[in-house]
Amino acid sequence: MDVLDDPIAAARTGAALLEVEDLRVGFAAGGRDVRAVNGVSFRVSPGRTLAIIGESGSGKTVSCRAVMGLLPAGTVVTGSARLRGAELIGLSDSQLRKHRGADMAMVFQDPARSLNPTMRVGAQVAEAVRAHRAVSRSQAREEAVELLRLVRIPLPDRRYHEYPHQLSGGMRQRVMIAMALACRPRLLIADEATTALDVTTQAQIMELLLDLQAELNMALIMISHDLGLAASYADDVVVMYAGKIVEQAPARRLFGTRGAVRMRYTRALLDAIPRLDRPAHTILPVVGGRPPDPAALPPGCPFAPRCPVTADDCLTTEPELAEHVEGHRWACWHPCQNGDTP
Amino acid sequence: MTEREISPQPLLSVREVVQEFVVRERGGARGGVVQAVSGVSFDILAGETLGIVGETGSGKSTLARAILQAPRPKSGRVVFRGTDLARLRGRRLLEARRNLQFVFQDPFGSLDPKWRVRSIIAEPLVAQHAGDRAARARRVSELLDLVGLDPARYARRYPRELSGGQAQRVAIARAVALNPSLLICDEAVSSLDVLIQAQVLNLLERLRGELGLSYLFIAHDLALVKQVSDRVAVMYLGRMCEIGPGESVYRQPLHPYTRALLDSVPSTEPGAARSAATIKGEPPSPISPPSGCRFRTRCPRARDRCAEQQPPPVEHAPGHVVACHFPLISDEERPVAGPQAGRADVD
Amino acid sequence: MAAPRPEAALPGPGLLAPGPPLLPSAGVSPRRLASQRLGRALRLWVPAGIVVLILATCFLLPLVTRMPSPTNGNILDAGDPPFSPGHWLGTDPVGVDVFSQLVYGGQVAFEVGLAVTAIGVVVGGLLGITAGYFGGWVDALLSRVVDILIAFPALVLALAIAEGLGPSEVHVIWALSVFSIPAFGRLSRGATLVVRDLEFMVAARLAGTRGWRVIARHVLPNILPGLVTFSLLGIGIVIILEGALDYLGYGIPPPTASWGAMIANGQTVLTAQPEYVLIPSVVLVVVVAALNMLGDALRERWGVR
Repeated sequence: MDVLDDPIAAARTGAALLEVEDLRVGFAAGGRDVRAVNGVSFRVSPGRTLAIIGESGSGKTVSCRAVMGLLPAGTVVTGSARLRGAELIGLSDSQLRKHRGADMAMVFQDPARSLNPTMRVGAQVAEAVRAHRAVSRSQAREEAVELLRLVRIPLPDRRYHEYPHQLSGGMRQRVMIAMALACRPRLLIADEATTALDVTTQAQIMELLLDLQAELNMALIMISHDLGLAASYADDVVVMYAGKIVEQAPARRLFGTRGAVRMRYTRALLDAIPRLDRPAHTILPVVGGRPPDPAALPPGCPFAPRCPVTADDCLTTEPELAEHVEGHRWACWHPCQNGDTP
Repeated sequence: MTEREISPQPLLSVREVVQEFVVRERGGARGGVVQAVSGVSFDILAGETLGIVGETGSGKSTLARAILQAPRPKSGRVVFRGTDLARLRGRRLLEARRNLQFVFQDPFGSLDPKWRVRSIIAEPLVAQHAGDRAARARRVSELLDLVGLDPARYARRYPRELSGGQAQRVAIARAVALNPSLLICDEAVSSLDVLIQAQVLNLLERLRGELGLSYLFIAHDLALVKQVSDRVAVMYLGRMCEIGPGESVYRQPLHPYTRALLDSVPSTEPGAARSAATIKGEPPSPISPPSGCRFRTRCPRARDRCAEQQPPPVEHAPGHVVACHFPLISDEERPVAGPQAGRADVD
Repeated sequence: MAAPRPEAALPGPGLLAPGPPLLPSAGVSPRRLASQRLGRALRLWVPAGIVVLILATCFLLPLVTRMPSPTNGNILDAGDPPFSPGHWLGTDPVGVDVFSQLVYGGQVAFEVGLAVTAIGVVVGGLLGITAGYFGGWVDALLSRVVDILIAFPALVLALAIAEGLGPSEVHVIWALSVFSIPAFGRLSRGATLVVRDLEFMVAARLAGTRGWRVIARHVLPNILPGLVTFSLLGIGIVIILEGALDYLGYGIPPPTASWGAMIANGQTVLTAQPEYVLIPSVVLVVVVAALNMLGDALRERWGVR
């Protein structure tokens, strides 16, 4: 019995479902060399949820697409990404297709664009089933209905025959999840999957994802810009900036203990989010400037130009991502101290 | 509450505004009529910020456009600085609207891609014949400085040469060019990254102080709305569920929908429990909304009366009005909204 | 509720691409990028060059050199092959210089093509923009006018005019305008409708800009690329229609040279000497194809859908 099928055994032995090491992604565009991802390493175990947090341009989406092999031709990907021990980087598309769907699947942000508007939703789910397994059409249809039921779409046999435009955003996203789950993948990557949804629907979808994770013993990677989402639903959190991981810790530690956040960028993010407990008209602590150009990354820490406590070493030498405290890694020469607010 | 005086005469007074539009089926045939806004009323006093929060289909953006008369609401009154905008036409409407401006959600959509930044900001000045060319150029520089963009570097740019945050600043500069009294912000920061969003919010706060602006701030992000507003209104499917002072609405929500919204917000607060989705089902179709109270199909407290009669707005606390037959006023209800500090079921 | 937009400058010719923050523009190797660029440039400049060359030949060459008459020929020279002295492409069965006919016929083709298209753009554009922008009864009225014009079959009208008023270049232009005005009318109305409710238009109206100014300064610059690319295609179509009219004898009256007439005349000796039909046909095809390709390349460059 594969240790990865048993989450408790996996946790005990530390076996990871997905191990990414020193992933780097670059490509040439407009004659310039763009470094979208610069040495990213993380692991996800079955039954665990990892949140990858970052703003746009941080490289969070590109990293996961690199793992899934969904980047356009001409992109240079180096490093290693091992899924159940099998190396994914460097595989051809046809080889990767075997892994996609069966071992790993992805749910995207905008279901309106990911679903074919001219095809009934049930048929699309059935198509996803048949893409990876040789089953008859009627069997695929039955499974599709079951999948729709699994994602808690009411009256799935009726909804099977509807078109995407007849469904609400939340429903469409459930259909996307059903398609992703068609072959019971071990790893599900949700790329801003709830960003376009209402907050009440978001809560429902997140509940659904977590319940499915428990039922199917999946590992879940959530890509988001929403720290609140990570705090509420993730086990582990990785914060990315300029293509690198700048802080990594279990969610409870990062968000739970007052002042446990170390990296200045994470602190800036947390401070900049509107919070329900703040009085009205507070001026938010603000970090000026913009993220660096991925084709012209400065030496030293990429956040240094904007950081409130930049020192000389920040500008010249890039801080290493190191585990300074058990379970908590950060890359900062002058991290926040406990209870420190800039 | 703010330090500045809030005068008693409403700056904007909206009464029973109704807005409809025809739904087109694929191919252009008439599919039905959607009443996006069904009788909304509220006031905004000079110097205050009213936040309107609601999800998709709540009608909040349609309401904003209806206030502007772009397009005109089907019925209702929109009294701005004493004049009913709904009755004005042509030039008189332009004159009256001069003091009412709008910031859109999409920073790039609201800027003509073929125009330079300086022309974009100067447009309201040109349209209202404010000053000669030299005076306008000075004013444009002034406005760019006001929103934190260096005129020397940005005046000559095209929108495609700007980032999202910069484009939104240009839109704000244009909006305040004529010194309006009321600025309507329709999801004005929703498409910006967190750190940039904070910058723009601070800018809006600063302008509030420096220019004495009032705001109608529309968003779907509850924390955002609370932070920006003095009073908050909650909309669902074209009707206003609840309206009142921000602290009051968030700490002691009276409407079950407000309660459900607050429960659904994931929080980064230390010790916050994972919020259970307390709302059931899907939003109903706006073409045929439920009878009586529109929220009843998803409300855990709904009873027969909710289907028969639309709940009238009732004031339960000072300035805090709710439209619900069975509002959450008893003490046994959980009183604390937002961060669920002290709850026992932390996982 | 869109995802945040990218704040970092994305790669690309110095500019940010506003839009969803997914992958930046397709990752391609520098070599492939360069060849894509070359392809794009060729697709634009080669047809442009051909069009300019033909225009120059038709309009400028006669000013510079003496050309044999396109209408009167010396029967003794009839049937000369190409590259005969004094006749670059030879002469036709009645002795008229072929090249001259091409050149002067080209003048006619372009004059008609440009005139008809210009009338279409100006009149049709005006009607369409007004209908699209103001909507309501204005739109209803103007659209009916345009519909009536469309209902007129242009060729039949041209024949009727030629019969009634006698064939001439001006009559051809009128007749074909009946076709180009509604074409541009519909196009510009559609484009205006698309643009009219974009947010920056609402913003312009909120700023207080009055109707006509909004049209001139906001609508027009934004629909112009579409109009221009359509014009190029339109010129090509008109040239073909004009050629058809000349071929039927209802266009430019003989003996004035025109491509259509050349084809008609060459028909009589088609099997024996096909070149008299082929040469003007090839020229027609090249001109129209070049105009079409130029239109497509511009559309690609300007991002018109």
